[in-house]
Amino acid sequence: MSRLLLSFLILLVSIVSHAQKTDCGCFVKGIVKDQHSGQPIVGATVLILGQNSGVFTDENGRYELRNLCPGSYTLECRIVGYNSFRQKLDLTAGHEENFNLLEQEVHLKDVEITAHRTDAPSSQPLTTLSGSDLEKTRGQNLGESLKGLAGVTTLQTGSSISKPVIHGLHSNRILIMNNGVRQEGQQWGSEHAPEIDPFIATRLSVVKGAAGVRYGSDAIGGVILVEPEELPFDKSLSGEANAVGFTNGRQGVLSGTVQGGIKGFKGFGWRTQGTIKRGGNIKTPGYYLDNTGISEKNFSLAAGYRHKGLGVDVFYSRFDTKIGIFSGSHIGSITDLLNVIKNGEPFVKSGFNYAIGRPNQNVTHELLKAETHYHFQNGNRFQWTIARQINDRNEYDLHRPRNDSIAALNHPELTFKLTTLTNDVIWDHKPIAGKIAGQLGVSTLYQYNLMNGRPLIPNFNQFNIGLFWMERYVKNGWELEAGVRYDYRTLKTYRIVNREKVADHFTFHNFSGTLGATRNFSERFSARLNVGTAWRAPNVSELFSDGVHHGAAAYEKGDATLQPEKALNTIGSVKYTDAKWSLEIGGYYNYISDFIYLKPQPEPILTVRGAFPYFKYTQTDASFKGVDVSASWEFIRHTTVSSKLSYLRVYDQRADNYLVMIPPNRLDNQLKYELPDVGKWQKVFISAGNLFVAQQKRVPPASDFLPPPKAYSLWSLQAGATIRVTEKQQLEIGVSVQNLFNTVYRDYLNRFRYYANDMGRNGSLRLKWKFGA
Amino acid sequence: MKMNRKLTWMLLVGVGMSFTQCKDSGSDVKPDDENELITSVTLKFTEQGTTNVSSFSYKDADGDGGNAATKFDTITLKPATTYTLTIELLDESKTPVDDITKEVEEESDEHLFVYTPSPASLMTYTYGDKDVNNFVIGLTGKAVTGAAGDGKLKVQLRHQPGAKNGKPEPGSDDVNLDFTLKVK
Repeated sequence: MSRLLLSFLILLVSIVSHAQKTDCGCFVKGIVKDQHSGQPIVGATVLILGQNSGVFTDENGRYELRNLCPGSYTLECRIVGYNSFRQKLDLTAGHEENFNLLEQEVHLKDVEITAHRTDAPSSQPLTTLSGSDLEKTRGQNLGESLKGLAGVTTLQTGSSISKPVIHGLHSNRILIMNNGVRQEGQQWGSEHAPEIDPFIATRLSVVKGAAGVRYGSDAIGGVILVEPEELPFDKSLSGEANAVGFTNGRQGVLSGTVQGGIKGFKGFGWRTQGTIKRGGNIKTPGYYLDNTGISEKNFSLAAGYRHKGLGVDVFYSRFDTKIGIFSGSHIGSITDLLNVIKNGEPFVKSGFNYAIGRPNQNVTHELLKAETHYHFQNGNRFQWTIARQINDRNEYDLHRPRNDSIAALNHPELTFKLTTLTNDVIWDHKPIAGKIAGQLGVSTLYQYNLMNGRPLIPNFNQFNIGLFWMERYVKNGWELEAGVRYDYRTLKTYRIVNREKVADHFTFHNFSGTLGATRNFSERFSARLNVGTAWRAPNVSELFSDGVHHGAAAYEKGDATLQPEKALNTIGSVKYTDAKWSLEIGGYYNYISDFIYLKPQPEPILTVRGAFPYFKYTQTDASFKGVDVSASWEFIRHTTVSSKLSYLRVYDQRADNYLVMIPPNRLDNQLKYELPDVGKWQKVFISAGNLFVAQQKRVPPASDFLPPPKAYSLWSLQAGATIRVTEKQQLEIGVSVQNLFNTVYRDYLNRFRYYANDMGRNGSLRLKWKFGA
Repeated sequence: MKMNRKLTWMLLVGVGMSFTQCKDSGSDVKPDDENELITSVTLKFTEQGTTNVSSFSYKDADGDGGNAATKFDTITLKPATTYTLTIELLDESKTPVDDITKEVEEESDEHLFVYTPSPASLMTYTYGDKDVNNFVIGLTGKAVTGAAGDGKLKVQLRHQPGAKNGKPEPGSDDVNLDFTLKVK
């Protein structure tokens, strides 16, 4: 490993020194003006595309970009309220380029508004899935869709429930921003998938590393941004229809979007979207998994209005899913578990079936959001987002009550209803001296959880307020940023102990900070470094769990004295891109003090269902060290090989041992051949891929009922094409086969690995018809 | 400054809004009466030809977790004796106490008791009842002890909805207790 690291370093140093030798004394300067009034525009951004470097215009509308190397660049000038403008330049020395911008109301073609405010520190790696890469994942759930990104894996419960894992962290340590609102579902449970329909998004982005300053507590491991396209203001009717079919589970997904403006009502845009999904029992290479069907119905509505500096958006979405849980996994005792493990395959077998019986879970998630922003003439910007979410989760156990009259009511054995109200007010101040931009914000969250049924977590009320301030300085290829945040949280819980109501009250508060730098050495080569802190208060399940965990055959007990986790995350990366090569190497070190995890206890606990291994939530100091590498090389014309490597080591510093449930290292390789466009046929490609997942050997001794599964290697094939039917209509076709050779494997992070193999071969066909603009 | 005032005002409204729908989750806490527990398991051995009944129990009144089991008797039986063995399951966390034995009896086609002595020479168990599908249940049966010795008696209630086939494997354990068994 050290030799590998050394060669990387040598490579790095040689690239850096090479970059510094060139003569980079070129510059571009100019004035940005309003095309109609001729007035200078203050605070507009002038960017060099593909380089992440840019400046703001000063009070006279002037800008200047210095220390550029000779070469050709594309400059983009943009500010909200105007159409962005691009200009190609061939620089040999100094150059003056003035921009005259058109107000958006005047000119309605190709409106590009910077509505995708990711706001994450730019010194943190942001990996995005959009366009054809996102299309390939259509029909899969959110966790599965993100799996292809280096450093992102999934924590699975069978094949229908998956949660994203970033750099080994998941659940409450990953924040999901759904259309600008922090997703508040029952994230704490490992079998609770994010309640989001990926068809809503045209961009899925992952911020790796702690981003607590901008996004608040819980963003210890990273942030996932689910972002829809900007609303089609004043555009004609357009839309798309998607149909996806999978052979495994005979799953079908239909999704449609229709959007447009309204004639005679300027500045208005709307969109409506819906998805239905139906799937039956999943097949492993040898047998079907009983009761693993899924049924999903989602829709969303959005509307917005823009006038001058004012923008108003409303959004409503409803996600409704019913997921069957493999019945062989709902077991009553440790002997059942040991019997299944000994048997090597499930006792419960079935053929193909669409029916969803017990056990199953039924989840609805509603989001209602209103956002308004206003751009002041002087460059200040104000944004206010208010949202309400209702998460309603019903879990039906395999075990119905024995009393027939109660069983006939068919009540869920467990329900949670979580209501969340969030408020975010952000003020972007006008750029100072054309070089410093920043924002101040306040976020509040009010939440209450009502539960009913088999005791698991208590009812609670939670209130959180956070204040943050971030500044960014951009000059000469350097981008420096710093931010601080303060959070205060109160939590009141109510539970029944021996038929008496017991209330507990907790308060947590914390400061967090971030410091980062990005250096663009040239158009092709950049480096970034970020040091950030984040924190996470213990959640109610960690405080109060007390019972046998279904499926895991383990008794879990919370600890009400747990303290918040605090993370210090250092993440650095270098990126090199040219016409044939693309290489990104990132390394991170995440130290989490008071990391909360389940610690096995020496004595098992005795219950009427037998003796269970006993786990208690405990705290330790944990370190997460890892490397993500993505590279692609077009070694022959039209033929590209690309590789992604994720390497991670996690250590429990206090116990001087490894931690459980850490994703094993993986290597993903792809070979892609793209055919040149012929007439109506465009973007035609075929590709073959291999995913190698190593065996997780770094586990604490005797930490598990079954040692981590062996390494596995899966092959896949994909092909796709876009057919331009007419000027305004196009059809996209994609076919793929996952697990081509029907390989038998089990994944360490799949909680069903005790009971059954993972999914076998799965072919899919995707059709997408786009019409309108 | 006018703008700042406007901003402050909007901020206040924003923060204020977050309290408007406050609801206290504490008022909705209620004990769950539908939830079924087995808190006590009692084995009754009636010596054949007599009315001598020896009862041995496991009791954990508050269910899994919380307080540990309050009672876990050692089964003491005579050697080379024939007993009628019946079992009683109760949920004593409810008032009135819920008789789970009756509910198991009603749904006997989904339930199977399994009695496993170890070493096997300590006792032989023969089922004394059958469900509608002619599969054994184990609510009542015959237990014949062997020579004197010490060991264990594993008592299992297998819940096998839709899968009962006369074998112990399908389904899951509702009861799984290892009683200490002394034959002397």
